[in-house]
Parts: sequence; structure tokens; C-alpha cells
Amino acid sequence: MIEFIDIHKRFGSNVVLDGVSITVDTGQVLYIIGASGAGKSVLVKHLIGLLRPDSGRIILDGEDITWLDEEGFYPIRRKCAMVFQNSTLFDSMTLLENVMLPLRKHHKMGRKEAAKAARAKLELVNMDRDADQYPAAIGDGLRKRVAIARALTLDPQFVIFDEPTTGLDPMAAATVDDLIRSLRSDAGVTCVVVSHDLRSIFTVADRIAMIYKGKIRLDGTPEQFRNSDDGVIHQFVNGLPEGPMSV
Amino acid sequence: MNASTTNFFEAIGAPVVDIARAWGSMFGCGLRTLRAIAMARIAWREVIHQSYLIGNRSVPFITVTLGFLGMISVYQVAMQIKQIIPDFTMLGPAFIQIMIREFAPTITGLMIATRVGSGIAAEIGSMTVTEQVDALRMCNADPIVYLIVPRAIACMVMVLMLSIYAVLVSTISGMLMANGAFDINMRTFLSLQLTNGDDIVIGAVKALAYGFSIPIIAGNAGLTTSGGSEGVGWATTRAVVSTSFAVVVLDFLISAAGYIFT
Amino acid sequence: MNGALKSLASSVGGAVLAIAETIGGAVTLLFRILRALFPPRYDAEGVWRSFYNVGVKSYPIVVMTALFVGAIMVIQTAFYVKKTGATGIIGYGVGFSVFAEIGPILIGLMFSGRVGANNTAELGTMVVTEQVDALRALAIDPLPYLVVPRFLAMLGMLTLLMVLGDLFAIVGAALTAQLLVGFHWRVLVADLLQSRLLDEFTMGLVKAACFGISISCISCYFGLAVRGGATGVGRAVNNSVVSNATAIFVIDFVVGYLYSL
Ligand SMILES: Nc1ncnc2c1ncn2[C@@H]1O[C@H](COP(=O)(O)OP(=O)(O)OP(=O)(O)O)[C@@H](O)[C@H]1O
Ligand SMILES: [Mg+2]
Repeated sequence: MIEFIDIHKRFGSNVVLDGVSITVDTGQVLYIIGASGAGKSVLVKHLIGLLRPDSGRIILDGEDITWLDEEGFYPIRRKCAMVFQNSTLFDSMTLLENVMLPLRKHHKMGRKEAAKAARAKLELVNMDRDADQYPAAIGDGLRKRVAIARALTLDPQFVIFDEPTTGLDPMAAATVDDLIRSLRSDAGVTCVVVSHDLRSIFTVADRIAMIYKGKIRLDGTPEQFRNSDDGVIHQFVNGLPEGPMSV
Repeated sequence: MNASTTNFFEAIGAPVVDIARAWGSMFGCGLRTLRAIAMARIAWREVIHQSYLIGNRSVPFITVTLGFLGMISVYQVAMQIKQIIPDFTMLGPAFIQIMIREFAPTITGLMIATRVGSGIAAEIGSMTVTEQVDALRMCNADPIVYLIVPRAIACMVMVLMLSIYAVLVSTISGMLMANGAFDINMRTFLSLQLTNGDDIVIGAVKALAYGFSIPIIAGNAGLTTSGGSEGVGWATTRAVVSTSFAVVVLDFLISAAGYIFT
Repeated sequence: MNGALKSLASSVGGAVLAIAETIGGAVTLLFRILRALFPPRYDAEGVWRSFYNVGVKSYPIVVMTALFVGAIMVIQTAFYVKKTGATGIIGYGVGFSVFAEIGPILIGLMFSGRVGANNTAELGTMVVTEQVDALRALAIDPLPYLVVPRFLAMLGMLTLLMVLGDLFAIVGAALTAQLLVGFHWRVLVADLLQSRLLDEFTMGLVKAACFGISISCISCYFGLAVRGGATGVGRAVNNSVVSNATAIFVIDFVVGYLYSL
């Protein structure tokens, strides 16, 4: 179970999170939505200690991890993986080596063994054919799939996906959606997904939380979002250019 | 030959090829700069501004590096002399002479190559990747005239000035060391007995040559930046090495010419 | 007047703070590296890769610089000989200045320009593209994985390259003596070898090792501290090479002084 309790975060004078509280139950898939710059990426980075809150608490499976030091976060990061918004593969390594790295570091696997396990992970996202390419040589969408494979190598209990389907074609996006569903149903993995992709949101989410102006605007089921009469949510869910959110 | 040996030779050979390629485009850039200067296409306000950035802002850096160099050179040579014949009368004159002819301009040149060369490459490099240079071209403004020429003139003047300053700093720090650690009379140390006009000319020619080549090479690295924003870092790196190495090569050529013709 | 004084004071104050911050950051990093070395916890494969990368990147510039350094010092000594007629000092003069002083400084500066600047750019790019955060997210500590191998490689490689550099400097000196100065190369090399310059030679190696330490710490510090995108990387490289050059002269002084005690 993941609990964010009253998180505040600002960068200089830019208040990004102004009291955000969300709870994600084990085995649930929570989608976080919100306009660009709303602070979705900022929020999820708090869970693995890449950013620290100005105030508030973060509790993972009953353990208060808010003020763990860098060292203390390493065990947390092994059970809670993250797929970054920009994929962030290591430029200097091939795709296969990218996926092998956590295996070699944490499971002390030899080269051959790790390569085999890594290929299996790449197959999950249909990327095993390009395994020996370098990240710079492939497109954004493909990189994102490799990043997903890399995040899953350590068989985490929690996975954070930051916009996993942005930049993917509809077929690849559907593959990722299926992957998230099967993570939940087969392995009982708890997923936090940041997304703008309305189709994924309404087909996969157990619950949705919307960040608006540093606060949670609504936290509920897809049904509640569809039927909401809140202007902000109505505008976002229907992708309307005009409404309370227009800039 | 198997694959891994090929790789090995590629890895060894690639840097050599890189260097050769860089030299080609650099000479082109230098010629175009000279032509622009000859045609008097000079933005003087920019020259003044660049002189401030290149010259004044380098003073602390030159003071520290040349100050330490002066002290340690005097110290080490004096230690040697002490073991052979404890006669320090020629130490100062010889030190001042070699500072003027060799080390003041060359070390100043290397420091400017490092500080200004990397700065110019970073600045022009980011202008290139953000397409500001293309924008200049679109308004019919030659980037060489607008970006490189003012820097080349400013840098030539400033490396010369800073070299003179470097002679002063290193001589003073060397003199203090000589006086403090070896009891050498300051007047004995401060003597131009061995220095003559040739030394001064050689030193000045070096300073001017370094000053001209640094902005050319660094600016060229900036203008040829590619590979988006990451390219800027690489261009900056390339500029540091090529400008420093150019200083070393020019030092050799001018010293050799000076030796032959004096 | 008052305003000018104030702005002078604040710019001097700012510069002092910046210097203190750099030294503090680099020294803290050094201590963290040393703690990771005893007991060793670093990426052994990465260490070899770093050695290879650093060596391949820097050997051409070091060899060429060394050739020129030998050549230049022959010419400089020859100037002196022409004025005083003391031919006996050529071998000694060249060997002493190259081994003890000019060789280490110039090779150190070139190494800093090639490897140090490159390292700052590389780490800086990894920071701004979030690759360092991605490492942390994979529960891999960037220090033993990224920094320690570079530290060991720069320390070891610069020391080795200094030996190579001294060798090539002698070659450059011999060639120039023969071809330009008209001094037989055998005589020069024989003089040089008989000059009992072992102390100077080892001092050069100690300097190289210290430069290796400072270049790696300073360049990693600036690389990891990059903020603000691509311009930030450019600025960091600039700061890194300037700090490295300053450190080289200060260290050169300190080692030269301590060595004579
Ligand atoms: N490290 C940082 N330092 C300073 N400001 C930051 C930092 N990270 C994020 N911000 C700011 O926080 C705000 C929220 O950024 P965030 O990346 O979380 O947006 P987002 O909701 O993920 O948007 P997007 O859909 O574009 O990814 C932005 O205004 C951004 O400028
Ligand atoms: Mg985001």
C-alpha cells in the first residue's frame, strides 16, 4: 500500500504540490492525470526519494519512508521501480546491456545468464530483435518500451509508469496497457501510472486521481470521472479546448 | 584480422583522424576571419565588450597560475644551483628572460585557451544548436564577422596584455621566493641583463599568434556543433584540446624560427 | 564611489564563495571515493572500461604534447647556451625542466582538457537527461558505479602516461637537437641519462598522480552538479577546466616544495 499524506513541494517560488494526499491499495492500478506542468512527475518521484517533500509524509507498506537517507532508499527502489517520462536509457550501452544492468548489479548474474534473462524481459515488450542497438539509434516509442523492460527486471512489487504510452503508436500502446493489466492480475503488482492517454485511462484504471493547481481535484473510479459534473474534470476527460482549464 | 583487433585499431586510429579533420575546417575559418579583418568589417563595440570578458575576467586566473609557476620555478632552480655553486647572480636575469620569451606568453596562452576557448565554444555552440546562428545567416549577417572577428581581435590584444601582466606577476612572485627562501637581493634578481630585443619580439609574436588562433579554433568548434544540445558539451571539450594543442605547436614553431633567425 | 566599492566587495566575496564551494565539493567527493575504496565496493568491469576509455582518449594528445615539450625545451636551452656558451648543460637542462616541471604541467593541462572536460560533459549530460536519476531509481549508487572507476582510471592512466610522455619528450628533444640546433642527439641523450635525474623523474610521477586525483574529483564534481540543460553543461565544462588548471599549478607548487624538504 502506498500513502501520500499532505505532500507540499515547491521549487523556489513555484508551488507545485500544495497538499496532495493519495492512497493506493496493494494490487490496484491508479492513474494520475492532470495538465502539463501540473506536477504529476514531481509527485511520483517522491515515492522513490528522487525528490523530497517540503512537508508531508510518504508511507510504503506501513513504513514511513519520508526521511530515509539516500542509502535507506536503495532497498525501497529495488521493490519499487520507475519508468521515466523520457525513458532515460543509458546512452553508452546497448538496449540489452541497459536491461542487463540491474540484473548484473543486484542478482550478481554472469554475463550469459543476465543476457538471457534480459532478452526475456525485452520479449515482453516486443523489443528482442533490436537488442543490440544503441538507444540513440531507435525512436522514442521504442526507447520507452525498453525502459519498461528495464524497470521490470527486478520483479518489483510496485511500478511507477510516467507516461508509458505517450509517443507510442496505438498497437504498442495497447501492448503496454495489456502489460500493466497482466502485472496486476498475474503478479499482484501495484501500479501508479501517469498518463494523458484517455483510452488507456478508461480501459485500465482501477482508480483515477486528478491533480489540479497543486491539489487533488477528484480521486475516484473511472465511472465517477465520466459522470462528474465538475467543469475541470469534464473538460479534461472529454478533451475540450474550452473550459475552466483553458489558459 | 579478427573483429576485436580491428576494433582495437579503430579505437587507436579514430582520434588521429579526428584531429586531422578538425585542422582542415579550422584553417578555412582562420582565412575567412583574416579576410573580414582586412576588409575592415569590424564591430568595435563588440570588440570592447569581448576584451572585457576575455581580458579583465581572466586576471585572477592568470595571477594565481603564473604566481605559483613563478614561485616554484625559482624555488626548484635555486635548489639545484645551491647544490652546485651557490652563486645566484644569474638566476633572476635568466628567469626573467625565459619568462618573457617562453613561459609568460605560453602559459598565458594555455590558460586563455582553457578559460576563453571553452567559453567561446560553449557560447557559439549553444547559439548554433538553438539555430541562432542560422537566424544570423538569414538576415545576411556572416557569423564569422559577427561572432568570430570581434573575439579574434579582442583576444589578440588581451593575450598580449595578459602576457605582459604574466611577466610581472611571475617575476614578482619569483623574486619574493628568491628573497624569502634563498636570501637573494631583490635588485640582483630584478635584472634585464640577459634579456634583449629579440626575446621581447619572440614573446610578443607568440602572444599575438596564440591570441588569434584561440578564438578561431574555439569559434570553429562552436559553429560546427551538431547533435543537438548534447553536442554543445562535446564542442566545448574539443575546443579545449585543440586550442591548447595549437598553443603548444605555435610555441614550437615560433621558438624554432626565433632560434634560427636570431 | 561607495557603490563601486560595494560591488567590488560583493564580486570578490562571490568569487571567494565560489572557490570555497568548488574546493569543498571536490574534497567531499574525494572522501566519499576513498570511503568506497576501503573496503572496495566499486564496479570492477567499469574500472577496466574506464582505463581503456581514458587511455584511448588521451594517449595521442599526451604523446604529441610530449614530443613538442621536449623540442621546445631543447630550443630554450639552446638559446641560453648560445648566449653563455655552456654546452654542457643542454642534456641536464632539458631533462630537469621536462621531468620535473614543464612536462607534468603541460601533460597535466592537456589531460585535463581532454579527459577532464570530456568527463564533465559526459556526467553533466547524464545528469540533465536524468540518466543519473535513472541509475538511482534502479538502486545503483552512482558513486561506485560512475565516479570511482573514473577516479582510478585517471589516477592510474595519467601516471602511466607521464612515463610515456617523458620518453617521448626525450625523443622530441633528440630530434630537435639533431635537426635544428645542430647538437648530436647521442650526446644529448647520453648527457641526459647521466644527469642523475631520478628524483626529478619520480617527482614528475608524483605530480602526475596528484593531478590525476584532482582532475577526476574536480571534473566529476562539476559534472554531477550540472543544473539547467545544455547551457548548464557548457558552463560546467568551462568551470571544470578552469578549476583544474588552477589546481594543477597549485599542486605543482605544493608537491615541488614538499619534495625538496
Ligand atoms: N527539478 C526541478 N527543479 C525546478 N523545478 C522543477 C523541477 N522538476 C519540476 N519542476 C517544475 O515543477 C512543475 C511540474 O513539473 P512536472 O514535470 O511534474 O509536470 P508534469 O505534470 O509531469 O507535466 P508533463 O505532463 O509535461 O510531464 C513544472 O513547473 C516544472 O517546471
Ligand atoms: Mg511529467
